[in-house]
Amino acid sequence: MKKLINIILMGVAILASSACTKIDNYPGPNASFQGTLISSTGGNFPTSGGSTQIWLQQIGWTAPQTIPSKFDGTFEDTQLFSGGYKVVPTGGAFWPVYDTVTVNLTKGTTHNFTVTPYLVIKNFTATLNGTTLTLTYDIDAPIVAGLPTIKDTQPYVNTTALVGTGASIQVFSDANAVTINKDFVDMTAADKSMTLTVPNLIPGRTFFVRVGVRLSDSYNSSNFSNIIQVDVPKQ
Amino acid sequence: MKSIHKLVIAISLTVGALVTSCQKLDIAPTNIFTSDVIFNSQAGITSFLATIYQDLPIEDFKYVPSTNDGAESPAGFEHGGNDWQEFYNEAACTGEEVGPWSGMDIGTGFGFWPYGDIRNVNIMITELPKHVADLTQTGVDQLLGEAHFLRAYYYFGLAKRYGGVPIITVAQDPGAPLATLQVHRDKEQAVWDFIASELDLGYKMMPATSDAGRANKYVAAALKSRAMLYAACVAKYGSVNYVDGEARASGLAGIPASAATGYFQAAYDAAKLLDGVYSLYNATPGDKVQNYVDLFLKPNSPENIFIKQYSIANNTAHSWDDTMSPRYFTANALSRSYPTLDLVNLWGTLPITNSDGTPTRYDNRAQLMQQLEPRLQATIYFPGATLRGLTFDMQRGIYPSFSGTAAAEVAKPANSRSYILASSTSTLYQGVQVIGFTGPWTGDDELTRTGFYVRKYIDYTRPQATVNLNTSVQPWIDLRYAEVLLNRAEAAVELGNTSDALADINLIRDRAGAALYSSIDLTKVRNERCMELAFENQYYWDLKRWRTADVVLDKAHFKGLMPYYVFDENKYIFLAEPELFNREYTFPKQDYYEPIPGGEIAKNPNLLPNNPGY
Repeated sequence: MKKLINIILMGVAILASSACTKIDNYPGPNASFQGTLISSTGGNFPTSGGSTQIWLQQIGWTAPQTIPSKFDGTFEDTQLFSGGYKVVPTGGAFWPVYDTVTVNLTKGTTHNFTVTPYLVIKNFTATLNGTTLTLTYDIDAPIVAGLPTIKDTQPYVNTTALVGTGASIQVFSDANAVTINKDFVDMTAADKSMTLTVPNLIPGRTFFVRVGVRLSDSYNSSNFSNIIQVDVPKQ
Repeated sequence: MKSIHKLVIAISLTVGALVTSCQKLDIAPTNIFTSDVIFNSQAGITSFLATIYQDLPIEDFKYVPSTNDGAESPAGFEHGGNDWQEFYNEAACTGEEVGPWSGMDIGTGFGFWPYGDIRNVNIMITELPKHVADLTQTGVDQLLGEAHFLRAYYYFGLAKRYGGVPIITVAQDPGAPLATLQVHRDKEQAVWDFIASELDLGYKMMPATSDAGRANKYVAAALKSRAMLYAACVAKYGSVNYVDGEARASGLAGIPASAATGYFQAAYDAAKLLDGVYSLYNATPGDKVQNYVDLFLKPNSPENIFIKQYSIANNTAHSWDDTMSPRYFTANALSRSYPTLDLVNLWGTLPITNSDGTPTRYDNRAQLMQQLEPRLQATIYFPGATLRGLTFDMQRGIYPSFSGTAAAEVAKPANSRSYILASSTSTLYQGVQVIGFTGPWTGDDELTRTGFYVRKYIDYTRPQATVNLNTSVQPWIDLRYAEVLLNRAEAAVELGNTSDALADINLIRDRAGAALYSSIDLTKVRNERCMELAFENQYYWDLKRWRTADVVLDKAHFKGLMPYYVFDENKYIFLAEPELFNREYTFPKQDYYEPIPGGEIAKNPNLLPNNPGY
């Protein structure tokens, strides 16, 4: 009996010592890809959530991946497998880029894309009067021929600097949208100089504000202004 | 002597071995049905067809268009015995209803890829002509026609989701070289043309009548009118509103606009074939509400062209009765998706506001409903309607008193409104129940959040105690004559033939109890379709083919009808307010086509390029 127990114990000991010795010794993905979307009119191309992405497909594989752009137009993914990739920016309010670029991704690969925005928002100003914020700005199109119809424009208001589509307070943002539904060529100079108002902001709070103009392109995408901070004084 | 014995033994062994050996080992296995067993008899073919019919992409009560938001997994065309998620429907994602989807969460589909079923049909088409001796030439031809119809039905399910897909007409040999198995996608236009020619074969070869649940020549014609209308709209509207990409440039997703007229004409011609063969259900013209309710429940309706049946014994019953009405009317379960006021307003704005902007006062809840079109009353349960002896007593809350306009009241922040709400049906205000047994409330699932419930297809004849999960057997009417008339009218108006369209629409409006039109246009035809076919899993595809989904569902919020009791007046008022889920729906343009399933691309990279935007 004792012998049997010893045998069993020995078996357990052997199993215990032999089990779980292997560790996952395959290296994790360590290549990275980062860069900036640069507007052809100068500066970074401002984006928002759920719009511009860097589409990349590893050569020899069928499933594409995407890297969402950050709001300031930069992007970064540090968990990619090294290898050759076809890459292209997609999904934003810029003239479509059809030519994929092939990049060889290793650690710290950087690549910048230059895109031509549909619209550029200029002279963006914000004036606070009591709790009513008035936003004025002008729009301009680097390329007019073939520009998608301009659908609407709206403010984006949030309590953090992450402000844009999907990251804004509905009653201050979507609710103050103004419908346009005009082609750029048909707009007068006055049409292109726009004003939005955001009433009933909450006193004593800090808001981050930007404006967007939406076009009826493939993605119903918007061109965005830069982001400004608005401090509403206490009453 | 001994050696003779040995010799005898040796000889007998040899002879015995020779006689008994060499039996052929190649005998037919008894546990596998060979093609002879299946295709030599009608019974064998019927059982083979049963599987093909069962898997047809019919978007019925049980169809779950996505696995998102906790919907049944795997999604798609369910036929088990425990399918009871009817509220995860297309209607609840498009604004006909609101429900468990947290947004526009069905746009990328569930990876529909029925090439296994198509293979079965292809085997049938190859095998049948070999069995003329047993089945007769007529029998073979009729079955071949049915097979062509079935193949078209599967390809229609594919084409409306993906555009161009590989057209496979002969069962592939698994032993063939990989290069021949990995087929390319055909162009979208080629797929629609293939569907048209298959349905033409079906119309030519099938008989004029069939058992319920099986196809005949008119089923093929009716399906053709639906399919060609889809193709025509892809050509006409998809060439204006699209997502750019490689698949579009190479014709895999998209049809040239020039093809639209031909497809509209094909849809019109196919619909016209049913002229005089089917008619709108009108058994009780004196009671148009009851007539419209019964249309969806009477098995011998002359309007039914193609139906799908269910059975408790075969574990295929559905749960429509139990999951579209609240527990108050049933034995079990709960409801989770509810018609919107936006849908109801297609019939015209409800008379709930006076000309001065104040809410109209009603003596009782049912008074509002009684002025409305019979078809609307038969499609949606309004406050005050009854079912199984109980009343839909929808009431959002109580106003001790009410003054001012409806618009001003609704615009107020919730905390400055003077109403009394409750989180339980047992809460009383001065002895009066605050919310109805049937809602609306914002608590758990189960009670309406829009002030309405679905009435279409609800079997009102069943006693409450029997209304349980998986006990509903009323058939799904996949193709009915009203849809064919609507297909015909839409094609006609697109072709400029307004007099035909007007006649078709007025047939439908007459049966519905609506005022007849004296003139017609595309908007009227489309609205009529949305009203007549509400909750029938057509609207989602209509929005897609009209390419209006990204306009209609653009940060869309929908409304409900909130009934309140005004205590000091002893009256009821109805306010149009945001539905109580407060969902937002945005349709991204790339969802006009679903992505080719990733698993299929991994098996066959030749399916690339994927549809634009994926």
